[in-house]
Amino acid sequence: MSLIGESIVDSELRGDKGVVEEFGSSTTSRSWYHYLLLAACVLFAAVSVGFVGSIIEKSGPTWLHHPATLITGGGWQSPNGPFGGLAMIIGTLETSLIALVIAVVIGLGTAISIVFFIPRRLRNIVATFVELLAAVPSIVYGLWGFLVLAPWMYSTVDPWLNSWPFAREIWGDPSQQYGPSLFLAAIVLGVMILPTFVAISREVIAVVPNDLIEASLSLGATRWQVIRKVVLPTSRIGLFGATFLALARATGETVAVALIAGGVAKVQFHLLNPGTSIASWIATEFGEAQGNEISALMALGVLLMLLSFSLSLVSRWLVGRQRKLLAKV
Amino acid sequence: MNDLTQLEEPTEIDQSMREEIRRVSHATRARRLLISRVMTTLCALTLAVTAVPLVLLLFQLIKRGAPELTWTFFTKVPETPSLIAPNATGGLSNAILGSIALNIYAAILAIPVGVLVGVYLAESLSKFASALRIIAQTMAGAPSILMGLFAFSFVLQDLHVGFSAIAGSFALAVLMLPVIIIATEIAVLNVPNTLREAGLALGAKPHKVSMRVVIPSALTGIVTGCILAISRAIGETAPVLLVIGGGYLNTWKPLSPVSALPLSIYENAKSEWPSQRAQVWGAALLLVIFVFILSLTARIWASRKQKVSN
Repeated sequence: MSLIGESIVDSELRGDKGVVEEFGSSTTSRSWYHYLLLAACVLFAAVSVGFVGSIIEKSGPTWLHHPATLITGGGWQSPNGPFGGLAMIIGTLETSLIALVIAVVIGLGTAISIVFFIPRRLRNIVATFVELLAAVPSIVYGLWGFLVLAPWMYSTVDPWLNSWPFAREIWGDPSQQYGPSLFLAAIVLGVMILPTFVAISREVIAVVPNDLIEASLSLGATRWQVIRKVVLPTSRIGLFGATFLALARATGETVAVALIAGGVAKVQFHLLNPGTSIASWIATEFGEAQGNEISALMALGVLLMLLSFSLSLVSRWLVGRQRKLLAKV
Repeated sequence: MNDLTQLEEPTEIDQSMREEIRRVSHATRARRLLISRVMTTLCALTLAVTAVPLVLLLFQLIKRGAPELTWTFFTKVPETPSLIAPNATGGLSNAILGSIALNIYAAILAIPVGVLVGVYLAESLSKFASALRIIAQTMAGAPSILMGLFAFSFVLQDLHVGFSAIAGSFALAVLMLPVIIIATEIAVLNVPNTLREAGLALGAKPHKVSMRVVIPSALTGIVTGCILAISRAIGETAPVLLVIGGGYLNTWKPLSPVSALPLSIYENAKSEWPSQRAQVWGAALLLVIFVFILSLTARIWASRKQKVSN
């Protein structure tokens, strides 16, 4: 078991391993040790309650006075408002969904190639390399996007994309483009979550039992049929988990997007124009914010929290359902 | 079906049927093989597509970063370049020192609590434990900017501590906690039950078994988890961005404003001076070296664990 995918496989451990002792079940175990553990747990519970509570509390004024503006308003006028968050919400969805599509399509193929097509000797080296890349801090990806990719996009890629048919409808007005854009942010996010996705799905695919693969091959299935009909269905729980982890990383990414999305609070459907996301907008605006604006930024934080928690809830539900389906078979 | 034996022997019609079957099976076989070849080629192509940007990133990082890692970089505080001296960037010693201090304080705050909670989660079957497990897993996926908002609203606004290293460490500690908890729980669950039962059979009380048998056997896993938590925290910009204040001083005092490597990368990347933008690559390379060393150490610890248990 490797270092990244642990959170996904953990609940399987519990299944076949009974736990010897339940603390507190017998009088003998009520020792100082038991209370020490409980105290740590209470502290952690308090921290997590404080985590949610204090951000919600500080965003209170915004929710009380201008809840509709925050969710549906388009512009952000510091320092006195109105503070509209629609541009950030849409920017977050656009960048993270495009990034997810890039990462899943390319990442799945990569994971399959690493497990089945690469020579055995190279396999471990490549796997280690991918896991190291998954640990590279996001600011480094942001820096690369900002100093290397953005100038290159501006000089080479943008003019080419603008020569497509319907370019204005898809990519937007060329006079507003200067390198950083929602599309560039999505690409860099995709490259950033790619190693995470590959590392986890490689692990998930590698544990598919060899018996199944050999049985299928011996029935005359081609390599692709084995992958399509045996490997992918067997590992789908883990692949779901990997997808949601990658999505969570993309939606919450802050500084990389702050550097390369352009930082313009405008509802933006033209992908080559600059935009912003919830997390990166909090990061860029917080420094100079005061009073009401801090409260509005905290309210954006609440939205981000809701997004992240519901993603985690949906992934938990999906993985649980898949597991039940597999158990029935 | 029992009337299979009563089927008539094939007649001359059958010869053509047989050929038809052979023809179709040849055709489908060719089709299956073609599809398989195309798809496997596509998979191999995606491997190349993945490799190109990532290798390019590492290559540019080393090429542009390595020349910046000079003696001055490690020992001097930053200077602001001017028209007279456009290349006078100084070093980033304040950020290096700040990053190390931030992570040490955060580790001191997070590791004891995280390990204890992890042990409790693994050893207890109570409702409280499963609730905490869900909380830890949810928090592990929460965006890191939220830790920064939490530290700002709690440490800065409620406790009235100013911009300081300790506020940043608090944010990083909240970030580390779920990682440590989850890793500890898995490490403790991985300890074979026979060890626990042996301890109990010898008459040891449950808490003695947990303290003297289970935790020592799970120690490598726990240490791996802690190192990974630190390696994740050291590269995080968003949580510290809002609360540590920055500044050019070499300091590690918990209550004074500090800088950090990711923070100076974020700020200097937008600098108008080419010399400062170049220096940022050095900081990024140093950060990646830190993270790689920590991750590799964790891997080595983890493989040692496997050897010991084999």
